[in-house]
Amino acid sequence: MKRTLGFILIVFIGLVLIAGCTEEQASGEELKIGVVASMTGPASTTGKDIWQSAQLAADEINADGGVYIADLNKKIPIRLVQGDDESTREGGQKAVSRMITQDNVDILVGGFSSAVVSAHQSIVAANKVPYIITGASTPTITRNPDVDTSYMFHHAPTCDDSGSQITLFINDTIRPAINAKFGFSADRPLKLAILYQDSPYGKGHQTAIKDTIAKNNLNIDVVAEEAFKMGESDYRTVLTSIKNADPDVVYVAAFLNEQIPIETQAMRDVGLNKIFTAVEPNDDPDFYKGVGKYGEYSIVQSRFSPYTVPKGPTEAAYNKFVTDFDKKFGGFPGMMGVATYEGVYIAAQAVEDAGTLNKTQVKDSIAQIQMPQMVETMKGQTINFSPDYRESKFDLTMEQLFWDGSVNETRPKIIWPASLKETDFILPDWFEPGKT
Amino acid sequence: MEIVKNRTTLLVILVTLLCAILFPIVSGNVYLLTVLIIMLIFIIFSSAWNFLTYTGQGSLGHAAFFGIGGYVSTLIAVKSGLSPYLTIFFGGAAAAFIGLFIGVICVRLKEWFLAMVTFGFAIIIQVLVVSQFASTTGGWDGVAAPPLISSSIPNYLLYEYYSILLIAVLILILFRIILNSRIGLAFSAIRENELEARAAGIDPVRYKLFAFMVSAYFAGLAGALEIHYLGYITPEIFGVDISFWPIIYSISGGLGTLAGPVIGTVVITLIWDSLQSMGLTYARFIIIGVLLILIIIFLPKGIVSLPEKIRSIIDARKRRI
Amino acid sequence: MDLNPEIIVPVLFWGLYAGCIYILLATGLNLIFGVMKVVNFAHGQLLMIGAYVTFTFFVISGFNPYVLLAASIPILILVGVTIERLCFRPILGTGKLNEIFISIGLIYILENAAAIIWTDEWRVLHSPYESITIMIGGMKIPLDYLIIIATTAGILIGLYIFLRRTSLGHAIRATSQNRKGAMLVGINVEKMDMISFGIGAGIAGAAGTLWVVSGQVFNPYMGSIPAVKAFAIVIIGGLGSIPGAIAAGLLLGIAENITIFTIGGAWKDAVAFIILIVVLIFRPTGLFGESGE
Repeated sequence: MKRTLGFILIVFIGLVLIAGCTEEQASGEELKIGVVASMTGPASTTGKDIWQSAQLAADEINADGGVYIADLNKKIPIRLVQGDDESTREGGQKAVSRMITQDNVDILVGGFSSAVVSAHQSIVAANKVPYIITGASTPTITRNPDVDTSYMFHHAPTCDDSGSQITLFINDTIRPAINAKFGFSADRPLKLAILYQDSPYGKGHQTAIKDTIAKNNLNIDVVAEEAFKMGESDYRTVLTSIKNADPDVVYVAAFLNEQIPIETQAMRDVGLNKIFTAVEPNDDPDFYKGVGKYGEYSIVQSRFSPYTVPKGPTEAAYNKFVTDFDKKFGGFPGMMGVATYEGVYIAAQAVEDAGTLNKTQVKDSIAQIQMPQMVETMKGQTINFSPDYRESKFDLTMEQLFWDGSVNETRPKIIWPASLKETDFILPDWFEPGKT
Repeated sequence: MEIVKNRTTLLVILVTLLCAILFPIVSGNVYLLTVLIIMLIFIIFSSAWNFLTYTGQGSLGHAAFFGIGGYVSTLIAVKSGLSPYLTIFFGGAAAAFIGLFIGVICVRLKEWFLAMVTFGFAIIIQVLVVSQFASTTGGWDGVAAPPLISSSIPNYLLYEYYSILLIAVLILILFRIILNSRIGLAFSAIRENELEARAAGIDPVRYKLFAFMVSAYFAGLAGALEIHYLGYITPEIFGVDISFWPIIYSISGGLGTLAGPVIGTVVITLIWDSLQSMGLTYARFIIIGVLLILIIIFLPKGIVSLPEKIRSIIDARKRRI
Repeated sequence: MDLNPEIIVPVLFWGLYAGCIYILLATGLNLIFGVMKVVNFAHGQLLMIGAYVTFTFFVISGFNPYVLLAASIPILILVGVTIERLCFRPILGTGKLNEIFISIGLIYILENAAAIIWTDEWRVLHSPYESITIMIGGMKIPLDYLIIIATTAGILIGLYIFLRRTSLGHAIRATSQNRKGAMLVGINVEKMDMISFGIGAGIAGAAGTLWVVSGQVFNPYMGSIPAVKAFAIVIIGGLGSIPGAIAAGLLLGIAENITIFTIGGAWKDAVAFIILIVVLIFRPTGLFGESGE
């Protein structure tokens, strides 16, 4: 038994030593940014994009000498600290608390999945560390009334924003096109079916669609609302059900591993000859590869596309980012990646504006930031956070997919909004409108 | 009443407890405090899971109770304004009630059947929470849970830690009392041979239901503690990983012993976190997976039996010489 | 809700098709259980490995993916035999919870090894017959699905003949019915364990190939849902009963699809367990299960 006692003592002393040694003091010699990313677990693909994009941004800023701090009257480099949330609530809580209390990070960037982020939200609030959330899409995080969210900023399109833009597009582009082509009267309502993931993400879209229709008094009838389990692979029956409701357009709120079988099974197995819309996370090389020819003429929402870039001010930054990322890590960074890349720049800019590493002043400086848009197109071409819930507003585009024989896959063309479009929306010959 | 068998065991327990009490003060480290709080919550959770195995039952769906405890406690605390320190007991009670219901279905079933039914219940309850009860539970958006102690109070984490430590110790003492009583004897009789137990006048159904309820109660309590500590509850709490952890902790520590879940939780968490700080990602899961298989094959009684095993190996060597 | 035949027939057909993958997994689980009386909860991860093996060989060789059954089945048999020797044999007869525990370890190892080897991006592969459809009874059915249903039937019939007509098959069945008795008549039961685990894993590998050819996406974490369903099927049908698994697989496939159509997709996974619980309340050994075990 003496041995056991000794063992306990050794463990105890060891723990104290670990605890004592690893705590870092804020040196003021570097800007420490904690990156909350799911490096392991089901969300690790996205986590890798987030971490690598943050590294790219930090390297670029450091190559330029770092971030100028007026207080210190010099430029200091950025150092990134990785916080793996393991795609779980407990993992995120530990990672964030470690970054805040051990590594003494000055600011946090990243955060994927609202369930994970909501579990470490309170520790961020209690420690008053500015947090630029670049990965969670439900708006609930910065709107949580029970926690002090004033230090949290949302730099990612919320389901509300993304859902309302798709709905507006369907109303002002697809509806008139159908009515014109089939000689319907101009006031024929568009019949919309919603197929959504049973998750905060899918539910968020469902709510956004209905809110947008009600608020703008759009001439759209929702004829079917069907949910499916996250990660589902067999959609034939739910699509048969939708076919039965006979819509014009099927609005799908799903991730690409779901969107691919949905469109494939709808076209090939169920014969659902309707227009499908996909939400923005699907605009990824894997989607085009997976959906193949069944994606032809379908609609994909986009904020950061692998194959097309909105002409205009963001074009150069887009090309530079995609090329640099591919050179450094190989592959395409994805939309969570680009948002985090911008997030690191926002953090650097805010610290420079504040002229200090003081967290409250940095927070105030993020709240007031007016930064020119970078890779993604923003509303008003500037990155700023709304005063109510601290959300940045994105200008999303809609793309239609067209067959490209040279790559044997479809490729997107921007068809909305009018200011950015490359071509017009086309109703394919096989399209069958819902019977009225 | 004899709670602890001999003086050395008592000494080990006291030293461990002393360490647990002194540790946060000596180190003064907030990150380790958060690690320790989650560790304590999982010690309670794993011990509750382990309690079930005393009757030879097992569960693959204890996340159901963990989550119910969290939801009921949160909703009551939000609606009534009561302190979470009170509502966690309601959370536990709700979990025990559901546990009784599941138990009634399960008592006749053995092993894999039971495992599958409990696993299924976690899934069914999650569906209910996000669909039928969505207006109360907030659906997928979840609900903000009042904190155990307001973060405006200085050193609130330290108070939370000590209160959870106290609850954990009290629960372990309670388990010890139950298992040392006639109930504990009945449990082991049922575990060894249900037919013989019945012949000896023990009603297995009653005892199994009792074990199920107690286990569900404290699993619910642990869930409630975690949720009030984290400050937010979402339906992801019913996930498979939450059901798996108490199994991993209990079996690696040593099934059917009170110390097992405690040691298992501490050791596995420490290994897990140190592997993570070494920057291992996927490899971390592989190492843990290999470790689990090695433990089951070479140390079937868990880490608790390690000193004994080492001693027997040493003795065997000595004898050969 | 109008339930006209135009809708009911396809819904039933999709149920039948969906049942195929489950039945293959469940049959393998049952074979292993029958002989060894252990349950491998990591069976779905073998499906996942089978999918990746098919994918890898397809990318390297460009062969018709159906031909790659010839690669995925033997490789998975090897994997299965290795797992049986290293993990399950040492714990044979030491308690049911240990199997669950070993399986959790295996799930972690297999999923994360796959993530290291193949990354965890979603993958997809297109069958050469993707665009061919055949009209049957007013329904346009993709050729791939017919091949998949036929392949499944072929594998099941092959297994049946193997178990009934060959001496090795007889030995496996004997071990399955009475382990001690089989030992007494000179059957090497440990060899039977290894063979049946290998065959079970091989069938899971075949299911993996079929999963990939049907155009389904996959990543290292895709195996757990089919495995859980397969296990529910095994229990609904009765542990160790292969006809039971087939019946339960079809029942579940159809019930799930009717649920989606009536209550909604959110209930799809729950319905398997509701059926499971109802069946177990009335028949604690499953529909076709023998009493005792």
